Amino acid sequence: MAGLGAAHAAPGPPFSAESIRFFETRIRPTLHSQCSQCHNDRLRTSGLSVASRDSLLEGGTRGAAISLDRPGKSLLLAALRHTGSLKMPAGGKLSAPVIGAFERWIELGAPWPEDAGSGGRADDAVHWAFQPVARPTPPLSGAEWARNAIDRFVLARLRDSGLGPSPPASRETLARRLHLDLTGLLPSAEEVRAFVADRRPGAYERMVDRLLASPHYGERWGRHWLDLARYADSNGYNADAERKVWMYRDWVIDALNRDQPFDRFVIEQLAGDLLPGATPQQIVATGFHRNTLLNLEGGVDFEQYRVEAVTDRVDVTGIVFLGLSLGCARCHDHKFDPITQREFYRFFAFFNSIDELSGEYSDAEGRARAFEPVLEFGTPEQYVRKNALNAQIEAMEAEQRAYQKELLGRQDEWEAGLSPEEVSRLPPGLQAILRTPSAERLERRKGILRNAFLAQDPGVQERRKAIAAVRKLLPAIPSTLVMRELAEARPTHILVQGDFLRKSERVAPGTPAVLPPLEASEPTRLHLARWLVDNRNPLTPRVTVNRIWQRYFGAGIVATSNDFGTQGEPPSHPALLDWLAAAFVEAGWSLKDLHRLIVTSATYRQASSHREDLAARDPANRLLGRQARLRVESEIVRDLALSASGLLAPKIGGPSVFPAQPPGGDDSEAVAREQGIRPIPARPLHPLLADEPAPRADALRQPGRADGLHPPQPLDHPAAGADAAQRQRLSRIRPRTRRAPAVGDERCGDLRAVVESLLDLPGTGTHRRRTEYPAKPCRGAA
Amino acid sequence: MDPLQNVRLNATRRHFLGECFVGLGGIALGGLLGGQPMHAESADTAADPLAPKAPHFPAKAKRVVYLFMSGAPSQFETWLWRPKLREMDGQPTPDSFLDGKRFAFMERFTEQRPTLLGPQRDFQRHGKSGTWVSEVFPHMARVVDDLAVVHSLRAENFNHAPAKLFFNTGSTRYGRPSMGSWITYGLGSEASDLPAFVVLRSGEQNLMGGANIWGSGFLPTAYQGVEFLRTTDPIPNLSTPPGFSRSQQRARVDAVRELNRARLAAVGDPEIATRIAAYELAYRMQASAPELMDLAAESQSTLDLYGAVPGKASFANNCLVARRLLERGTRFVQLYHTGWDHHGNRVNNLAGKLDEVALAVDRACAALVTDLRQRGLLDDTLVIWGGEFGRTPMGEIQELPGRNHHIENFPMWFAGAGIKGGQTIGEVDDLGFFVTKDPVDVHDVQATILHLLGLDHTKLTYRHQGRDFRLTDVGGRVMKRLLA
Repeated sequence: MAGLGAAHAAPGPPFSAESIRFFETRIRPTLHSQCSQCHNDRLRTSGLSVASRDSLLEGGTRGAAISLDRPGKSLLLAALRHTGSLKMPAGGKLSAPVIGAFERWIELGAPWPEDAGSGGRADDAVHWAFQPVARPTPPLSGAEWARNAIDRFVLARLRDSGLGPSPPASRETLARRLHLDLTGLLPSAEEVRAFVADRRPGAYERMVDRLLASPHYGERWGRHWLDLARYADSNGYNADAERKVWMYRDWVIDALNRDQPFDRFVIEQLAGDLLPGATPQQIVATGFHRNTLLNLEGGVDFEQYRVEAVTDRVDVTGIVFLGLSLGCARCHDHKFDPITQREFYRFFAFFNSIDELSGEYSDAEGRARAFEPVLEFGTPEQYVRKNALNAQIEAMEAEQRAYQKELLGRQDEWEAGLSPEEVSRLPPGLQAILRTPSAERLERRKGILRNAFLAQDPGVQERRKAIAAVRKLLPAIPSTLVMRELAEARPTHILVQGDFLRKSERVAPGTPAVLPPLEASEPTRLHLARWLVDNRNPLTPRVTVNRIWQRYFGAGIVATSNDFGTQGEPPSHPALLDWLAAAFVEAGWSLKDLHRLIVTSATYRQASSHREDLAARDPANRLLGRQARLRVESEIVRDLALSASGLLAPKIGGPSVFPAQPPGGDDSEAVAREQGIRPIPARPLHPLLADEPAPRADALRQPGRADGLHPPQPLDHPAAGADAAQRQRLSRIRPRTRRAPAVGDERCGDLRAVVESLLDLPGTGTHRRRTEYPAKPCRGAA
Repeated sequence: MDPLQNVRLNATRRHFLGECFVGLGGIALGGLLGGQPMHAESADTAADPLAPKAPHFPAKAKRVVYLFMSGAPSQFETWLWRPKLREMDGQPTPDSFLDGKRFAFMERFTEQRPTLLGPQRDFQRHGKSGTWVSEVFPHMARVVDDLAVVHSLRAENFNHAPAKLFFNTGSTRYGRPSMGSWITYGLGSEASDLPAFVVLRSGEQNLMGGANIWGSGFLPTAYQGVEFLRTTDPIPNLSTPPGFSRSQQRARVDAVRELNRARLAAVGDPEIATRIAAYELAYRMQASAPELMDLAAESQSTLDLYGAVPGKASFANNCLVARRLLERGTRFVQLYHTGWDHHGNRVNNLAGKLDEVALAVDRACAALVTDLRQRGLLDDTLVIWGGEFGRTPMGEIQELPGRNHHIENFPMWFAGAGIKGGQTIGEVDDLGFFVTKDPVDVHDVQATILHLLGLDHTKLTYRHQGRDFRLTDVGGRVMKRLLA
């Protein structure tokens, strides 16, 4: 396609990157959404196609659409302005700013990326994110402020804009900030006091190391990862029934805590099952791509939802590792990025041969193996017991079948013997069937009657009861959802308009051409996983460091952290992004090293206070002249309330505990279990968790609702210490420690201790300025 | 909206508020906290995502109540009278209607091809319009001249959860914003102490699709629907706990506010003002929500009109709560009533179960239309009734009469603001298989609802992952015939 475009592309003037960007952001989306449905290369309504600069210059039956000699007189502008007989687009006049953008664009000489062929592509070669990661040298200036290379990049940009950084935050604030960012829990008053008092060099670094070594670090950052992995403890769709995949969640927490190198972390999650000599834990890791939805509603076509799940794997792989919206190419070539529909299905092929629920199974067979493939973790004794019981059940069922067969011989007799009174006591449906002469009964209704006859027989009832009792004895063997390949790969076809019923050309697994090649003759999921973290792949390290950065500063260096494509925002600090990406890979993909690097920077340690000069010059704080004021997520608010009141159950891992859903009864453990444990149903949600998005990798989490529904939860949730009955139940879990005072609570302890534990401030109130109070109010205050 | 635009708006607001707060201190803040809706003076989504926004063009409807009949009511026993189907009751289904078509529960079809099932209820013409209405809806029949009944709806998906997702989000995939979220994003909130988008549920069965059908998807979570539970404490943890007086609560909120004010005075960050306002809203809601749910305040004649009983969980009570919400500024109220999935088994059938569910909703649906009219609210309130798809003209072969899922035609009705009542729209063939005239897609319904609210469905967009998304995706035509 690119070749075709190049063949008849007249050599245009070289356009500046800025003017190309103007085209990409202001013009191309409008051309695409408003014009190209009719005016494309295929339809050429009125002879016009807007697919390329040349085709616009060439124009249609009415002549050239744009005139470079007399830009203002361009036919395109007349049509957009509705000044002549031709009024476009057909859907209605565009807004003045959009028309203005077209005017400017034509005045600029109609900049269009050179390589963009008729498919309407961005300039693949030019787009920054597809370039190899550079290894820039940090600027030399700024040594007096900088603590590490990050600061030199940040300071240089600030100075370029005539701005300076903010002073460091207070030590109390830093302690609180670090604890919240690294573990999601408040520091104890003693911890804060000790840090404030520790004037020896390296006190801060020691706190960082201690927190990175805390098991709660894995929980905190595991939650971020699980958001991306769209982890949920339920299936989604209709009844949103529970599923067991918590071992994968525990695996994530553990992998982060032991600082598994990120490249291994990726490979095991995508293809741990295909590693030579894969360990059970490496297979558990593949739960990553089993976090897809499962539709078990009556009457569904399993194949339809399998295709949805595979599509979801492509989407999520694109977003999470490559920062690319591959999913846009499901039905057609990507409108903005260099991804064809064919490439989408080649990527799809990597995930298309999982031995999971599919259209190859009948309804009954499918439901019986709905969760496959799973990995079980039973003890040998459990399997011995399971096999023995299954054998027993089989024997009992065989006996039951024989009994029923004999019994059915007497069905006619039973029917004939039913008195009118007995018939009238039956459900109306059965009465209707009985009224129909047996020869005229439909097969399905005969079955219903047969079942009713069997069900009323005491011998059948007794047998059913006995079998059910044995079934109950089957050991509950822990299991988790994993990936497993079919023995023979399922063929992958391009699906016309993404419709699973409309198979087109068959394709082989492969990766998009715009990215470095995947070198394997018969690539598998394992090759794909290795390719994602290959040194030549520029996207994975950039996307990863950017996402981590985003958690610390509220926005990524690339603000559109899921979209590094041509429609994404360009990086605010391109050199810093590349330096971080390169440093990350060089340090062996250690996440803890990356965290340490960021949080020990002077940039991170700045105060977050509002500054008029910054508000005026850099309102979005893209230059980082101060720290960001971030609200914590709702589950962290909950954990803070629990931990501050001493009610947090410290256990990490294990099966999820569903929080009580109002108005049902409250389960004390459910209320008190902490962040890593709380199950995430595909449905929303416990009302306390009001900012929780749907479990999708691209879901936007915006902590802190401003509409009044968030405050009452922390204010009045039992865990916040207001409801006496609730509190007593909770307090049995951990009946000691720092509890928040509540009105009417005779057990209120030392108010000073409470202030310290909640606000990380000495409670004496003598040496603290009042205005310092919530030093970082939004990270802590509910 | 363009994210950068958001930032610029925010910057403007920061300037304004920054000066105000720093310059005027407590005076400006006092005004803010005086119980006035914070929205009145600011139209800025960055600082207050719920600030009221002007529609694209003058709106016919100021508010919407959507009565969602969950499970897919059978058209043949409600609004679509097919005498020919009754004549052909028990006949084999003509092959031409089945070949190449996909249905839910296909396996049962191949086991045994189902026969046509005649209407299980009688119909009569009602009102000046002479609209056919089934005997299961005697009350709705009385207000039929207010209703525009559309027979020619077509759905995309024949499974409940995806179909409900499609109706509400314009897509069968998870993660898109719901209609109420789009509307709230587009118009903000007019309710000073209640949410702009409220959901109420009733019925005995599980609501397939669950809370995702009123989620905010990729829109900010401030726009998601808020479910009010069927109790006097509609929002969990909202009411002050037992033994905790209103004045104690006030003192508590005041203490937090004092601390926030001190910080605001020190740093002038408008974010803090937003936070203070949020707490105030929560405090006001603590009083307004129980008041809202207290149906004992309604006259006996109103309670009788709906069939509502204070303290009881029912669709009728929810309809009355819906009217009270609309009166108090809530813009979009969605009621879900389950129990319409009449397959023909003991739990779901066109025998007794149809009568049960019809009885539960009929009086209250009609009462809502009547009550809104009596209060002068019907002129600018849009009322919508319908399910997620329809049911087959074939019976399902089970114990009792029932029908399978059918997406080729199903009914909805619309009443109130901007709607031309007393008409029927769309035609379906004699046996009730396919639309023969004026087909209406779900995206068309969405486009029309937005249109009545003054929103152009092609312009109400949100950029996500590099693309401008909209409720109607790439479809949607305003149903012109529906409009007065």
